[in-house]
Amino acid sequence: MNNFLIPDILLLALPFVVIGSHFLFPKRHTVPFAVGCIGFLGVFVMLNLLVLGETQTFLSNWKIDSFGVFMREVLILAALLGIWFSKDYFEHDADGKEQLHQLPEFIAAISVATFGGVTVVSACDLLTLFLGLELATIPMYALAAWNKSDPGGSEAGTKYILMGSVATAFELFGFSYLYGFSGSMKLAEIATAVTQNGTSPLLWISVLFLICGIGFKLTLFPFHTWAPDVYEGAPTPVTAVLAVTSKAVAITFLVILVFGPFASIHTQLIPFLSILAAVTILAGNLGALKQSRLRRFMAYSSISQAGYILLAILGPEIVAKSAIVYYLVVYTFANYLAFFVFGIIGQHRTEGFDSLRGLSKENPTLAIALTIAAFSLAGIPPLAGFIGKFMLFESAAEAKTYGLIAFAVLNNVIALYYYIQLIKGAWVDPPDENLPRLEVNKRQKFAVVVLTIGVLFVGVVPFLSENIRNILAM
Amino acid sequence: MLDTILFNLIWVLPLLTVALCVPISRTQTKIIKRIHLASAGVILADSIYLVYRVFGLAMAEGIPQGNKPTLQFLTDFNWLSSINAHYIVGADALSILMVFLTAIIVFTGMLASWKIDHQEKDFFALIQILGASVYGVFMSFDLVLFFVFYEMEALCMYLMIAGWGTGNKDYSGKKLTLTLALGSAMVLATIFGIYIEGGIHSWDITKLADVHLSETFQMWAFPLAFMGFAVSGSLFPFHFWSPDGHSSAPTAVSMLAAGVMMKMGPYGCIRVAIYLMPEAARFWLPYIAYLVLFNVVVAGFIAIRHKDLKYITAYSSISHLGLIFLGLAAATPLAFRGAALQMLSHGFLTGLFFASIGMIYSRTHTRNINEMGGLMKVMPFLGVCFVIAGFAGLGLPGFSGFVAEATIFIGSFQNESTLIRMITILGILSITVTAIYILQTANRMLHGPVTHAHFKVLTDADPIEKTALVLITACLVGVGLFPGWISAFLDTSIVPIFANFMR
Repeated sequence: MNNFLIPDILLLALPFVVIGSHFLFPKRHTVPFAVGCIGFLGVFVMLNLLVLGETQTFLSNWKIDSFGVFMREVLILAALLGIWFSKDYFEHDADGKEQLHQLPEFIAAISVATFGGVTVVSACDLLTLFLGLELATIPMYALAAWNKSDPGGSEAGTKYILMGSVATAFELFGFSYLYGFSGSMKLAEIATAVTQNGTSPLLWISVLFLICGIGFKLTLFPFHTWAPDVYEGAPTPVTAVLAVTSKAVAITFLVILVFGPFASIHTQLIPFLSILAAVTILAGNLGALKQSRLRRFMAYSSISQAGYILLAILGPEIVAKSAIVYYLVVYTFANYLAFFVFGIIGQHRTEGFDSLRGLSKENPTLAIALTIAAFSLAGIPPLAGFIGKFMLFESAAEAKTYGLIAFAVLNNVIALYYYIQLIKGAWVDPPDENLPRLEVNKRQKFAVVVLTIGVLFVGVVPFLSENIRNILAM
Repeated sequence: MLDTILFNLIWVLPLLTVALCVPISRTQTKIIKRIHLASAGVILADSIYLVYRVFGLAMAEGIPQGNKPTLQFLTDFNWLSSINAHYIVGADALSILMVFLTAIIVFTGMLASWKIDHQEKDFFALIQILGASVYGVFMSFDLVLFFVFYEMEALCMYLMIAGWGTGNKDYSGKKLTLTLALGSAMVLATIFGIYIEGGIHSWDITKLADVHLSETFQMWAFPLAFMGFAVSGSLFPFHFWSPDGHSSAPTAVSMLAAGVMMKMGPYGCIRVAIYLMPEAARFWLPYIAYLVLFNVVVAGFIAIRHKDLKYITAYSSISHLGLIFLGLAAATPLAFRGAALQMLSHGFLTGLFFASIGMIYSRTHTRNINEMGGLMKVMPFLGVCFVIAGFAGLGLPGFSGFVAEATIFIGSFQNESTLIRMITILGILSITVTAIYILQTANRMLHGPVTHAHFKVLTDADPIEKTALVLITACLVGVGLFPGWISAFLDTSIVPIFANFMR
């Protein structure tokens, strides 16, 4: 069935359509935005209509399996939320920075990055894999420096491109060893070679470099140090996209490698990945403890989230994949919910914990939304984040790494502390009379309400988790 | 069938009430408060009816053979099939009595917080959510469901303490919530182990009871789970959250925290830790007895030295909770039953304690017993209630405290180990310490000349508050005067647990 390719083709065409629509209606800003939204929504709906179960292969290097379709859905959902969120930043100043310009190109960049993610998840050989990863990363460099009038943004862009290039170099080096070891670019053939000779030093050098490379992109300790600076310097919508889309792409890359070519050495990888996950969780949590600025705080929080997601990779393939897909959906919802609230607050106020003062009295809906987002990120039942983390832990538990799970759940207590700081700002601190009033437009209100309902019910209603697990198990 | 629906409604109804109140404007506080009170009243009536039903059914069947309690109103369906979690709720004697206790405390807690002055809508909604989660803990027989409810409650606690508390509320709220979260993290880590090691892909507590988990696993998992639960039971060394938490919390929250939430700890210990990991429990429980020493012996002395009423009550709670853990550590059927009775009894008495203290504080605006004096002349009703709570706490015959403590002490003394017997004797002696601080507090606070002129104009309890206090006192006396049926009733759920413990 060739209709598996239609969403991909549409997605590939989307950036050009968006920019084209801008040329047709140069005066009207809403047209490219609408085209972008409808495009993502259309692709999302089409992906949902596909009948999943079998793996489809096209042209020997493009395969679409159930996991691939799920990851496409996650990425497109994230992209849709991303442009929905960024629209406001093109209309007025925010966070004390000037407003952004060139919305059509912005949307196009996000869709190209999304297509990069799609390429990663469809890859059958090293070249496509590498191409996808770069396609997902390069637009991000531009996005980080989108605000030309803001020196902080340029600094963030520069830092990101330098760090990203180093990571790319690591990956390429790893790939070259992998090719040298197996003599093939095909993932399937590499897998056979790995099964036959799992202890070769060449292989392990390549594994080491690959994990280091992806560690940069996934912000694993000790390669996470760029993240807080870049997250803080980039425009807020880009921070949100970085925290969700680029993390999702990076974790997909790791999943493709670990359950593809490295499937036969998965058990030997467990100690290595366990340590990485543990120190990443700890580093992210400790970093977040003392932050006073919201985006820097979110950067550290997303570092520790990356560590939690990494836990799932320890488990067997189906459990791990379903846990990762589900958690990414939940994480996308909760993270964007928090960002929407921050965006509304940052419109007229400085970006910091103090701006949250008295939120529960001024706008209880926002305060409740923020509370739900924070508790979901902290993994508190019955919110979606809890069920998501539960699935991650369950996946790790299948590998019998109880010590690691105990460590991770104890770290949850630290995480709870700093998420409570957010809630304390909103609920406990007395209102500050000098703060400007908040304005919420319809678009923001819609997103906040929908995401709040999503975070509240995606966890307790079995629909999503059940479908993911059942379809992946087919 | 109808009973099953009524039973499930106990935790659903509070949430429905919250949803119902969402569209009502925040300024309509009277309507909101009445809706919430009505719903709490319905749940209370419902729980009384269900206690009656379960009593009838359980007593007709007699004490169950084997290691499984007979669960009434069992509801079991697939919930999250991706992790094999089921929605399993059911009632045995222990759980339905705890549900009843919760219903009483929630209802009276609402009455006691009738006069809070800001954000009533949020406050009452949070009480309902808190109530729903506590009901859920006592009703659920699936580990995932149990844990979901178990962890939900700590967060509501933080919001309520930090939003409506007094004093150093943010610090106390965080201390409480994070300590409880630490406990639940320990529990969470072990239930994953139980699930995987159990090997039957089920989180069903009664099914897992048949599984013999490997002893090497149990040896580290049991202390982790037991101590995790014991955090919310404020067992030494995890007792430190409780005095600060209680003292900063608003009245209703102190009542719920001390009255019900602290019981979830021992409840979890007996229902999950001891029940599912009996081999390790037999090994570890004597060591836990050492920890009980602090609660039973030292906490009373600390209470003597404190001047703040809520701190005194908090330490008194710690020492009473210590007796529950003594009952668990002694591990005889009678001691287990005593522990269950003490959970119930202490719930009522500490509810009465915190309710009367909250009401006194809302009038005098001080909780320092040295600054008060002669309050008996000004507010005799509240004074008497405080004294009743105090006497029930030191185990005066006729109140529930006596029944529970006597059962624990007799039960613990049946254990042949010298250590347990020594601790039992110390526990009995500690009642003297309890008497000292109760009498000293009552004396300084209630008797003597009225110390401040402005105390003389204070009013006694109004009808709403009187209703709340009378309701709890009635339960306190009820259990105290008719202990026979309640003990026989509790045995129907304690005996299977003990049978599994001795397997």
